[in-house]
Amino acid sequence: MTKEHSVTIELNGEAVTSSIRPSENLRDLLRRHGMLSVKFGSSSGETGAAAVLFDGQLASADIILAAQADGHAVTTVESLNTERELHPIQAAFAATGAMQSGYSAGAMVLGTLALLKRNADPSETEIRDMLSGILDRETAYVKPVEAVKRAAAVMRGETTEPFAPLIIKPLTDGTNPVDYDPRRVAPVAPRSVPRLIPSRDVPEMTVVGKPEVKVDAVKLAKGNPAFTDDFEMRGLLYAKMLWSPHAHARIIAIDDSAAVALPGVHAVLHYGNSPRIKYASGGQSWPNPHPHDQVSFDNKVRHVGDRVAAVAAETVEIAEAAVGLIDVTYEVLPAIFDEREAMLPGAPVIHDEADTEGIFDRDRNIVHEIKAERGDVEAAFAKADHVFEQTFRVHQVQPAPIEPHISVAWIDGDERMVIRTATQVPFHTRRMVAPLLDMEIKDIRVIKPRIGGGFGAKQEMLIEDIVALLAKSTRRPVRLELTREEEFTSSRTRHPQTITYRTAVDNDGMLVAQDMYVLGNTGPYGTHAYTVQTVTGLRGLSSYNAPNKRFHCNVVYTNIPVPGAYRGYGAPQAEFALESHMEDIAREIGDDVIEFKRRNWVKVGSEIDIAPHLGERAVEEEELEEYPRVGSSGIEECVAQAMREVEWHRRDDPSWVQPADRPNIRRGIGFAFCMHGTAIPFLDMGGCSIKINDDGSFNMLVGATDLGTGADTVLGQIAAEVLGVRLDDIKVYSSDTDMTPFDTGAYASSTTFISGTAAFQAAKVVRDRVKERAAMLLDIDIPCTIELRGGRAYAPDGRSVSMEDIALDSLHTQEQEQIMGTASHVSPDCPPPFAAQMAEIEVDIETGQVTVTKLVMAVDCGVAINPITASGQVEGGMLQALGYAHCEEYALDDDGRMLNDSFGPYKIYRADEMPETTVFLVQTMEDSGPFGAKAVAEIPKDGVAPAVRNAILNATGVAINELPFTPERVWNAIHTP
Amino acid sequence: MPLIAAYHRPDTIDEALSLLDNSERIPLAGGTIINADREPSDLEVVDLQGLELDAIEPVGDRLRIGATATLAAVTDSEHVPDTLRDLARRDQPASIRSLGTVGGTIASADPDSTFVAALLVHDAQVELAGSDDTSLAALLDSGIPAGAIITAVLIDPSGVTASRATGRTPADTPIVSAVARTVGSTATLALTGVATTAVIVAPEDPTDGLNPPGDFRGSSAYRLHLASILSTRALEAVR
Repeated sequence: MTKEHSVTIELNGEAVTSSIRPSENLRDLLRRHGMLSVKFGSSSGETGAAAVLFDGQLASADIILAAQADGHAVTTVESLNTERELHPIQAAFAATGAMQSGYSAGAMVLGTLALLKRNADPSETEIRDMLSGILDRETAYVKPVEAVKRAAAVMRGETTEPFAPLIIKPLTDGTNPVDYDPRRVAPVAPRSVPRLIPSRDVPEMTVVGKPEVKVDAVKLAKGNPAFTDDFEMRGLLYAKMLWSPHAHARIIAIDDSAAVALPGVHAVLHYGNSPRIKYASGGQSWPNPHPHDQVSFDNKVRHVGDRVAAVAAETVEIAEAAVGLIDVTYEVLPAIFDEREAMLPGAPVIHDEADTEGIFDRDRNIVHEIKAERGDVEAAFAKADHVFEQTFRVHQVQPAPIEPHISVAWIDGDERMVIRTATQVPFHTRRMVAPLLDMEIKDIRVIKPRIGGGFGAKQEMLIEDIVALLAKSTRRPVRLELTREEEFTSSRTRHPQTITYRTAVDNDGMLVAQDMYVLGNTGPYGTHAYTVQTVTGLRGLSSYNAPNKRFHCNVVYTNIPVPGAYRGYGAPQAEFALESHMEDIAREIGDDVIEFKRRNWVKVGSEIDIAPHLGERAVEEEELEEYPRVGSSGIEECVAQAMREVEWHRRDDPSWVQPADRPNIRRGIGFAFCMHGTAIPFLDMGGCSIKINDDGSFNMLVGATDLGTGADTVLGQIAAEVLGVRLDDIKVYSSDTDMTPFDTGAYASSTTFISGTAAFQAAKVVRDRVKERAAMLLDIDIPCTIELRGGRAYAPDGRSVSMEDIALDSLHTQEQEQIMGTASHVSPDCPPPFAAQMAEIEVDIETGQVTVTKLVMAVDCGVAINPITASGQVEGGMLQALGYAHCEEYALDDDGRMLNDSFGPYKIYRADEMPETTVFLVQTMEDSGPFGAKAVAEIPKDGVAPAVRNAILNATGVAINELPFTPERVWNAIHTP
Repeated sequence: MPLIAAYHRPDTIDEALSLLDNSERIPLAGGTIINADREPSDLEVVDLQGLELDAIEPVGDRLRIGATATLAAVTDSEHVPDTLRDLARRDQPASIRSLGTVGGTIASADPDSTFVAALLVHDAQVELAGSDDTSLAALLDSGIPAGAIITAVLIDPSGVTASRATGRTPADTPIVSAVARTVGSTATLALTGVATTAVIVAPEDPTDGLNPPGDFRGSSAYRLHLASILSTRALEAVR
């Protein structure tokens, strides 16, 4: 067949006949038939987001031609959605927290269905093999594996206990260290079960602290329409981009006449027909930090994958064809990729245009120079007993959410621009896109539906201006979705850095000075250049007490794909260098590494002394009344639990390190102390609004952005706890600039702490009014004596009214009113979460291959509002951190073209190769957080790389100061004298 | 997904050969490679699924694996030697393994496929329609004759086989792998990651004459080193 052709597939048990084009793939055909659970992750099948059952076997529908499917049976997860209740497999995924964003949930559920049909009691190896083709950046596969086991048990007719954390006794008094005892044995439980160490300071609660099922679990498990691409628009146009093939070039001319003339093409935008309005694309608070060095379409390109032109057309194919017809004349310029070469004399100037302001030294490609100091570092070094200096190099990696960037824009009936987009920062996006469209903020609405992971890549106004400009130009809805390759080359990455530490230590093993120089590589644009590098300094100089500290940083332009925000935001770079440096100092001075670090790490009451001198609100020492201090820390309990779990003593046992029966293997255990932040003080702000409904339920509107983290659930739990109702009685709607209060967005580990406090306070406003209305009904004089619990309001004498009675009375009967409350929150505090990260590894000394066999992280995140979602954050964070340490890297050729812009060559971990992971949640009561909560989302990114590095050092005696630990690098290190 | 100009599904081998007597047409097996091609290019595909070439069955003292047998079918087949089953499983993750075929894997001549290396040490002979049958080693060296299609691969399932590999992670496509097989005292050895395809090498001097292309995962010199180490290990495992 050569044209439209008819195929018949058995779709979920029914024969379906369709007219198709020869190039159409099965994924697109299924989505055309409303099977929206089948997602786009890439066009080459390796993400598994589009996996369906093809004649009963799990298969990636994106690499099956629709024509190939003719005559075959295809099953999607919609086949299970025969009633409101979930199928047992879907229910198991919901109950275990196996879905974070849930973007690939349909594939996982289907894989489970097929597996259990073959084998009612599969082994973990078989489960992991089934999951091997469904890549997941969120769960580390821990809870999906548990979900399959649970579903299998249920379908075998067995009774299962509710999935809940394992409560274990503390090993410390919460403050002081205990001696490590190798005879202590850690409690045994499945790895998927988080270990929870309660604090006596935390009161018993009803909803907070409980393993509640996520509020979005049903729609995710069913594959219901939830994501940006799941909502169809009549008259939709498809956008495609022409990207730069050169790392650095001036555009001499663009001839778009052939593209414009192509039937079906509605608009072609480029520098020649677009306004030149400078902006910075990083999704940050107003005013965006300088430099504002981008325009929507420029006459110069600065990396391979930079924007050249955009096309909107009737179909993707026409748009692609039009892109190919745009004739661009380039003047190719010399390019630089290594930050260490950017400042050298003769290096090409990457921003030589006249209209970019705020570059520190344009001619030397220095975007920023950042300095901060406390004390007198040079004087301290001059009289120090010992001085240690080391340089570390960290590389470029990608957040790699399985859902690529996607945006749809249209002009609504009121002539306003509506943008539905996969973003972490809807409110920032609305503000930032307005001037580029020459529209007022009030005429723009940004909606964030569910998004398939972000991890920082979507803390950016990345493609929203393109779809909106095209929609404005064509007056038709326009959709742009990046391909996987475009996601690698044209979205955002982690900043490479070269980091030098100099540390002075006295004869008692105390730090007296620490000096950190960072050379950061922000690629061609400074979107997050200032703030990421600032966090590197903040995290790199906050963990340990020293009376003298200094941070000096240069951020430089190069021509690599653009670095921006990535979960951890400058901290993983710093912590790799810091924890490696501290490990080596301990070895040099003959100290026990944990004792050395413990002697110096910050404790409750310690000043967080570099923080006020860094960031957008930096102040001088004389402007400060006092330094912020650590208010809570569970690090000693974290260390004790992690040491016991990993069996720390084995690292000192030569027979374990060098097993007699495996002569080429060396084993090691490494440790990293982790300290992160919780939100940006005085800057991050979130709002919440709550109103009661007739039946006593509540609508909660929050600006906070749930990326799959469970933020909606956690905020709902906080409100439910305050209001004395079930989580199911809180209906959460989030992230819509027209409908919800403002929120800065999902970044900086801020949502639970900032938006959660806003939810807490808004719920308190509602609670107080509910009590007053209850007092009217119960004829009570003092409303505050009323207690809300179990969906009722109780008087001290035991009488009660239901929340429904209160709602009906207030809405319909007497002194009618809408019970509602609104609050917003900004915090002066940034309480640090702490963690102990352990890694157990094996090194093949003949090949250099490192195998990570176990990761243990014990985290003090205050009170985990939901221990299941919190532990999921830790597991997923460790997976990404493991990739950073071990196997993920951008490989560019000499011309700046990425050599590995697909999964596989760009290696991320699969289900069937993950090490064991164990998570401990150590409770502390953080007074500044809602119900005692601190952050948990980013700290898991910090410790894996240094822990693996220190484990390799333990195993081989070789210190490697550059990431990642790929086989040849390790082999060279071992065998280079 | 390439811009496929036309799709054909013949019912017989003769019909398939007739369709393929046209340089603009290519055979399509599972589609895991052709359909994943990122470069839009006009081509016509001749889908082999209607030819019933997916049987896995013993033929005399050899095992005949049909060209459109999937890697998943090989993994599950009790006729296939354990090491070969395991390497078929490792070749692709589950959601691709169910589509990818033995014939397609051979046709792609992936230099990193340990499964292809395993076929080599099992003395694989490739059955072709439209051309003379040949050894897998010769086919990898010369390519599939124009217009011909692979119908089956026949292997000698006997002997003891083992593989050793080095990758960035346990399930990574190996940077270099070695597959060794012994039948009696005779050893056969094949390597991946050291040439443009998987290759048979001399067990007594595995790196002789090799000049591996290097890339970001491993330089040429490192690959030679791995070839030596892994060959020794694989051979030790089967002796």
